[in-house]
Amino acid sequence: MKKFLALFLALVMMLGCIGIASAEELPTITIMFHGSNVTDDTAVLEKVNEYIADKVGAKLEVIWGTWGDFDQKAADALLMADETVDMVFTCSWSANEYNTFAKNGYFVKLDDLIAEYGADLVAAIPEALMQAATIEGSEGKGIYAINGYKDVATQNCWDVNVTLLNELGYTLDDFKAMDFYSFGELFAKAKEVKGDSFYPFLIEPMVLERMVTNSIIVAGDSGSTNLLSLYLNPEDVSADGAYGNVLLNKFATPEYQKFVEKMHEYYEAGYVDPALAVAETSNDTRTAAQLSANYLIGTQSYALGYEYTASAERGIEVAFVPCTDPYVDTTASQGAMVAINSASNYPVESFKFLALLNSDPYLMTLLNYGVEGIHYTKNADGLIEFTEARGTYTPWTNGMGNVTILPDTAAEGAGFRKTFVEFYGGAKGIPSLGFVFNNTDVSNEMAALSNVAAQYALALDAGAVDPATVLPEFLAALDAAGMQTYLDAANAQLNAYLGK
Amino acid sequence: MVMKKPKANLNGFSTGTEIVFHVILAVFALACIIPFLFVVIISFTSEESIRAIGYSFVPQSWSLQAYDYVFAMGGALWRSYFNSFLITVIGTVASVAICVLYSYPLFRKDFKYRNFFNYFSFITMIFGGGLIPTVVICKTVLGLNDNYAALIIPMLFSPFNIIVMRTFFQTSVPMELIEAATIDGSGEYSTLTRIVLPIVKPGIATIALLNALAFWNEWFLSLLYLNKNMDIMPLQYLLMRMQRNADFLAKNASILGADAAKAVRELPSQTLKMALVVFIVLPISCAYPFFQRYVVAGLTIGSVKG
Repeated sequence: MKKFLALFLALVMMLGCIGIASAEELPTITIMFHGSNVTDDTAVLEKVNEYIADKVGAKLEVIWGTWGDFDQKAADALLMADETVDMVFTCSWSANEYNTFAKNGYFVKLDDLIAEYGADLVAAIPEALMQAATIEGSEGKGIYAINGYKDVATQNCWDVNVTLLNELGYTLDDFKAMDFYSFGELFAKAKEVKGDSFYPFLIEPMVLERMVTNSIIVAGDSGSTNLLSLYLNPEDVSADGAYGNVLLNKFATPEYQKFVEKMHEYYEAGYVDPALAVAETSNDTRTAAQLSANYLIGTQSYALGYEYTASAERGIEVAFVPCTDPYVDTTASQGAMVAINSASNYPVESFKFLALLNSDPYLMTLLNYGVEGIHYTKNADGLIEFTEARGTYTPWTNGMGNVTILPDTAAEGAGFRKTFVEFYGGAKGIPSLGFVFNNTDVSNEMAALSNVAAQYALALDAGAVDPATVLPEFLAALDAAGMQTYLDAANAQLNAYLGK
Repeated sequence: MVMKKPKANLNGFSTGTEIVFHVILAVFALACIIPFLFVVIISFTSEESIRAIGYSFVPQSWSLQAYDYVFAMGGALWRSYFNSFLITVIGTVASVAICVLYSYPLFRKDFKYRNFFNYFSFITMIFGGGLIPTVVICKTVLGLNDNYAALIIPMLFSPFNIIVMRTFFQTSVPMELIEAATIDGSGEYSTLTRIVLPIVKPGIATIALLNALAFWNEWFLSLLYLNKNMDIMPLQYLLMRMQRNADFLAKNASILGADAAKAVRELPSQTLKMALVVFIVLPISCAYPFFQRYVVAGLTIGSVKG
């Protein structure tokens, strides 16, 4: 027994020594990203650590959150004040929602750090994005996360299968002259040519609804099924819409009724795949039909350059015809940010790292695209071509920060990032940009309302049910669940925000 | 009523009752088998067929595509397979040992602190620490972070199993037997291992089966405790991640736009998910017959006859 005790004590001492030895090394800072598909990051992190050792004075470790598990992990790490997670992705639509978490003191206020170490960062990120991140947080008004410079503007488009459109005897210009309410003729023709089992209208029902009515997502609204609508001015997105700056019950407007009635007509005529009206099958069906080019008109929230990718993938000519100019709303302008955990022991090192990541093309390329020679090579034009090893290292590009400093890839073509900056840099903000609905006071109503909406909205938007009978029933159910209370709370906050 | 032929089976029921029971049990058995059979069929269905007619017992065309993909996944898949086995084996052996060693004294009426230890374990069934405190303690105090121990230790001690095991001791091991062993000069350890354990094998088999299933099906611990070291991810979590990724992208497709469309394309297909389910279910269903032998044996054997 004594022998064991001696051995044990010796072991403890040895461990103790190791602990002291490692304390002299550089501190390790950890960042948690969203949406990654990374199984092997050794080569990348080795290079990164070599590079940042002097510049940041720390070693980096990364927690590669995936789409499915990030929400849980990030919220856990912040709520339990996990000091081993220094930096964490946040945004207006994830579980660790930026505004709420900043207000409750989970994020470090960055203004002082920006003033001291952030000169390069401020130069790299547009003023508007800094403003979008400036909110009323736990330590007063300020910036609580670094806003990534990515596809900050939203633009909903018709996704047109031009190859098929031409086959049917129409040109893209003919299509551009049409609108949602006059597609019928086109669909009838497609059905006639392609046969009865062909569904020309490949939609994402909720997105379609926003496209047709020119309404937008209100940040802070129920995430699963939106309940509120804010109507845009389709001619000039920075001007007030038809109703002014008022939040409306999405399902009670005449525009909505007109939309679902037309949609029901299309559905009855067999233009829409019934699988799209069911939440479980909607996404798979849409992806499958897109990939096999088995559609005529679809809906797509646009990302610059996506038509090339889409055309190549689907083996047809794809065009995206926008419904409005690109606009910047709160959801998109707080779409991908990185905050520093207030439990972190190394906020300064963490900030230095974030500032470097967002302003240094070498580091951003390294962390985003991998190591040259392993994950990508450069072709004769200096464009990036990914190798097979990229499959083991695919972070979510837009979730990392300033993607405008990335080099162009061969798939995107030369000059892509320059166009990118022009396109998104020139987008206009909507009048209520920056407004986030704080739903804590009406969270019970919101839960009840989203349950009701989940039951009706998708089927209505897809046209699967007859609005004449279902819509009144739906509206009555919403009223019973407290729609008016919810709406009043939202509008009171919006008015206060706009200073009315 | 006079019977011409003696009943073949004295304990049997009348033919009518037998038929009714058989039908009920057959329906029950089918309800268990058909879903799994469906999964197997889907895993062999071609993607085109699913696109065209959806899930069906009679697909338009068959394909080995999903299995090809699974085998092509190579390293990651076999690693997590190995992890699942390792966790299940170590976890089951350790948790059964703990369960038996804890519940045996609780069954012995001559153990002084019986009541205290009884409540000590039982109270955790009623009052839990809650998720966040539990995770904080495990991560920061106990160091259960990114290691195999994190996937095993939180599940080692189950008060429910201890109550089951204690009851099993009480019903199948008579005190007389232990007294007899003591009189014959057997020490406590030898009484437990040589006299008691052979009698309670069926009970141990039941507990082992429950534990093996729990460890094999566990994915939540991985979600909580695995952050950086994904090499030790068990198979269940691999599958769960795919499922959660798909769900998340479906829910947020409209916000993520083209990013989501791109990501969805990289996700495994429906058939692949089903193929993985087959991979997950097969090994554990092979364990059933093995355990069943003991469980059935438990119904017929006993130490004191009469």
